Amino acid sequence: MVKFRIRRYNGKKSYWQTFEVPAKRGMTVLEALYYIKENYDSSLAFRASCRMGICGSCAMKINDRPRLACETQVLTLGNTVKVEPLDNFKVIKDLITEFDEFFEKHKAVKPYLIRKNDNYAEPKELLQTPKELNEYYLFTLCIKCGACYSVCPAAATLDEYLGPAAMTAAYRFCADSRDEGQRERYQIASSPSGVWRCHLAMECSEVCPKNVEPAKAVQLLRRKTAFSILKSLLGW
Amino acid sequence: MSVSGWFRFKGRSLFSWAFTFQRLTGVVLLIYLLAHLTYLSTLLDKTGLTYESMIAITVSRQFLVFDLLLVLCGVFHGVNGFRIILHEFGIAYENRKPLLAIFTIITVVVWLYASYIMYSLTGG
Amino acid sequence: MEHDIVIVGAGIAGMRAAIAAAEKSRKLSIALIAKTYPIRCHSVCAEGGTAAVLREGDSFDLHAWDTVKGSDFLADQDAVEFFVRECPVEIIRLENWGCPWSRNEDGTIAQRPFGGHSFNRATYAKDRTGFHEVHTLYERMLMYDNIEIFPEYFITNLAIEDGRVQGVSAIHLKTGYMEFFQAKAVIFATGGAGRLYGFTTYSHQVTGDGLAIAYRNGIPLKDMEFFQFHPTGLIPSGILMTEGCRGEGGYLLNKNGERFMKKYAPEKMEVAPRDVVSRAMWTEIMEGRGFEGEYGPYIALDLRHLGEEKIEERLPLIRDAAIKFAGVDPVEEPIPVKPVAHYTMGGIDTNVRCETAVKGFFVAGECACVSIHGANRLGSNSTAECLVFGRVAGEVAAEYALNAEQGKISAEFRQKEEKRIFDDLLGKNGDESPYQIKKELNETMDNNMWIFREEKGLKEAVKKIQELKERYRNVEINDKSRGFNTDLTSAIEIGYMLDLAEVVAIGALKRKESRGAHYRLDYPKRDDENWLKHTIAYYTPEGPKFDYKPVVITKWEPVERKY
Repeated sequence: MVKFRIRRYNGKKSYWQTFEVPAKRGMTVLEALYYIKENYDSSLAFRASCRMGICGSCAMKINDRPRLACETQVLTLGNTVKVEPLDNFKVIKDLITEFDEFFEKHKAVKPYLIRKNDNYAEPKELLQTPKELNEYYLFTLCIKCGACYSVCPAAATLDEYLGPAAMTAAYRFCADSRDEGQRERYQIASSPSGVWRCHLAMECSEVCPKNVEPAKAVQLLRRKTAFSILKSLLGW
Repeated sequence: MSVSGWFRFKGRSLFSWAFTFQRLTGVVLLIYLLAHLTYLSTLLDKTGLTYESMIAITVSRQFLVFDLLLVLCGVFHGVNGFRIILHEFGIAYENRKPLLAIFTIITVVVWLYASYIMYSLTGG
Repeated sequence: MEHDIVIVGAGIAGMRAAIAAAEKSRKLSIALIAKTYPIRCHSVCAEGGTAAVLREGDSFDLHAWDTVKGSDFLADQDAVEFFVRECPVEIIRLENWGCPWSRNEDGTIAQRPFGGHSFNRATYAKDRTGFHEVHTLYERMLMYDNIEIFPEYFITNLAIEDGRVQGVSAIHLKTGYMEFFQAKAVIFATGGAGRLYGFTTYSHQVTGDGLAIAYRNGIPLKDMEFFQFHPTGLIPSGILMTEGCRGEGGYLLNKNGERFMKKYAPEKMEVAPRDVVSRAMWTEIMEGRGFEGEYGPYIALDLRHLGEEKIEERLPLIRDAAIKFAGVDPVEEPIPVKPVAHYTMGGIDTNVRCETAVKGFFVAGECACVSIHGANRLGSNSTAECLVFGRVAGEVAAEYALNAEQGKISAEFRQKEEKRIFDDLLGKNGDESPYQIKKELNETMDNNMWIFREEKGLKEAVKKIQELKERYRNVEINDKSRGFNTDLTSAIEIGYMLDLAEVVAIGALKRKESRGAHYRLDYPKRDDENWLKHTIAYYTPEGPKFDYKPVVITKWEPVERKY
């Protein structure tokens, strides 16, 4: 039996509730949450979908660290498991947090390939060598689970801060050999809520469940943004 | 959201500690600097006696511990700041963990050396 | 709310449809509704590849023939011929929109071998093909100002009045209140019904909502008895181990260390179509040649000979998942797998233009049955289908919407729907737990409607499902609150699933032959004389009513299927 302490919220008040779950080898925290929902308290609310660590739904704070519930084995956590919603996000109900702004920030960095000759009707294959692909591939793996944002101290004090995930998306496209929209994105990145707000706590890279290294992406984006500003100042 | 977000240490790595201490030492140094400048610029006594008496307090044994803490703040803020500047230029990201360890050691060594000197100067 | 087009479901098909409609006219207002955020859809779980004829040596006829043969000749060949011609341009479009396809050294898009395909035509992005396609489509979609996304809206019904579609009703999960989306055209791209089964590769959210809603509204379902079992589901979770594992050269081994596929498909071996491999594996297990494990017998998927470098390069997700969920590193040990419920070949009856029996109502993707997959889908054809028919649905719906009147949902419909959900279901008292019903349904499906079926088991299943339906009338939802009431939505989903399970079970009981994924131990031969036809199921309050429809054959007469 493993004790699950869950921080719940019903729209009015926040409280802790404890459940005992029979755990065996192979059981994940997500399965335990389903066990609780289906056997003890069906009002428990959490997000989940793919249960294989690729959809990004189930990031939550498990024993004080943001993790994907579906990827976390219960037996690696000891006899008591503490489950809480992510920090830096507004809680809606129990473990469910508000993600609208998070996705808005992602959208704000123009996270799509920008090309002058965008031909929808008759597209032509663009070449890209494996080496060029590897320049940005790591940063395409972001599942937008929000773990990075939840531990970012810069995001904790500035709601408008774009945050690690959005800036990683910006860098991912800037580093793509097919992209022609760097200039627009550097402008967004150098705004008051952009790259200069990052103060290198680098906790985002520590907690990213997909090892996307958002701190690295932010720093590379910052370097590119700085050079771009320098260039425009010098009139190159 | 608020500044309390800087003080969540449970489950966090040393990087978060470094971030928070950088902030805190920054605040301490700022307050010190303000006090320091305010005091110096408001000295009316042209003989230098008020200044001397103040110095006498600050170099005293009883005051040493505050001095040492102040120096620690300065050293940490400077050394850690240098580490951050390196990373800000996108340098040495892959070596961030060893770098954090090395810079912490440098901080401690410099501070200990400074402490030794100050301790000697106070006549110890 | 009023829109020109409402698209339900934000997976590959839904988002592709939204983009296609937006490209058709920037004046159309398009709403994309989904019960999750778009990038949390089940399409992200697609791993291996997307089929398309891109290179010298391959041909449309070859791709079509592979697909038809794979379907055990139940696919409509006119649809297949159209489909294969449209695949390549979709791959290139995604490429132009930023999809990080894996590349050859010269910079061209790479392709890998896949089950049942006689050419290396599975275009892939490592083993995260669906993930990258979804993200590429989502990101591209953000460029269009006339697409409005409504995430976390749980659809409850389709409004059909005056012989045409008027819109949909959905619960806004955040507030818990019902919203009505009025539209000229509605597209369903809601995915399959995989959670009918307990051991499945499907996401928790894939509960066949769209299928059941269309069915209850009188729109027939087609070929629902054909459920695909993927050969390699990770034990114990059922997480998909892509066919790419075998495409890249992985072996399937029984406990004697034999590559047993040589007995069942001497030519194609491990890359035979999924129905063939799954049956072979299940036969090995039933005849006692499976490995014994903590969670029952299993087969070994051996990748060790590929070497660490190739596994890391081509199958990083597989390695990661095997380590995290089974504690096995494929570089050092074989992966424990067994066949797993994976794909709903059947769906809402539609045609090549994604039209249905109701004016203004279109369907695309897994929830649709065109049919290009017939009795067994080939790997890498499903994401391709979503792209091709998603586009078609978007374009056809856009053309329709440009010349149609705005839909109006009547006050009567609104009241009835709110009463049905909030008073009759949420407000009701009872003594059944929906989760217990779901558990029993999953057990029934796993036991009686698995790879090998026979009359006795199917009859039992039908009886059991009808009993569960009866008990479902008496469920009680404990959480009476409004916002994010996942207790309520789960209960509604379970209601959808019961209706669909009944169609699957009775359809399977009626089809007295073995074809593709539907294998009857009591009728082990394919019977083209009597059963070369599509099953069509209509809703009635007493249970489904069945009819049949001929298969379209253009070039390829049915022959014996050998691999």
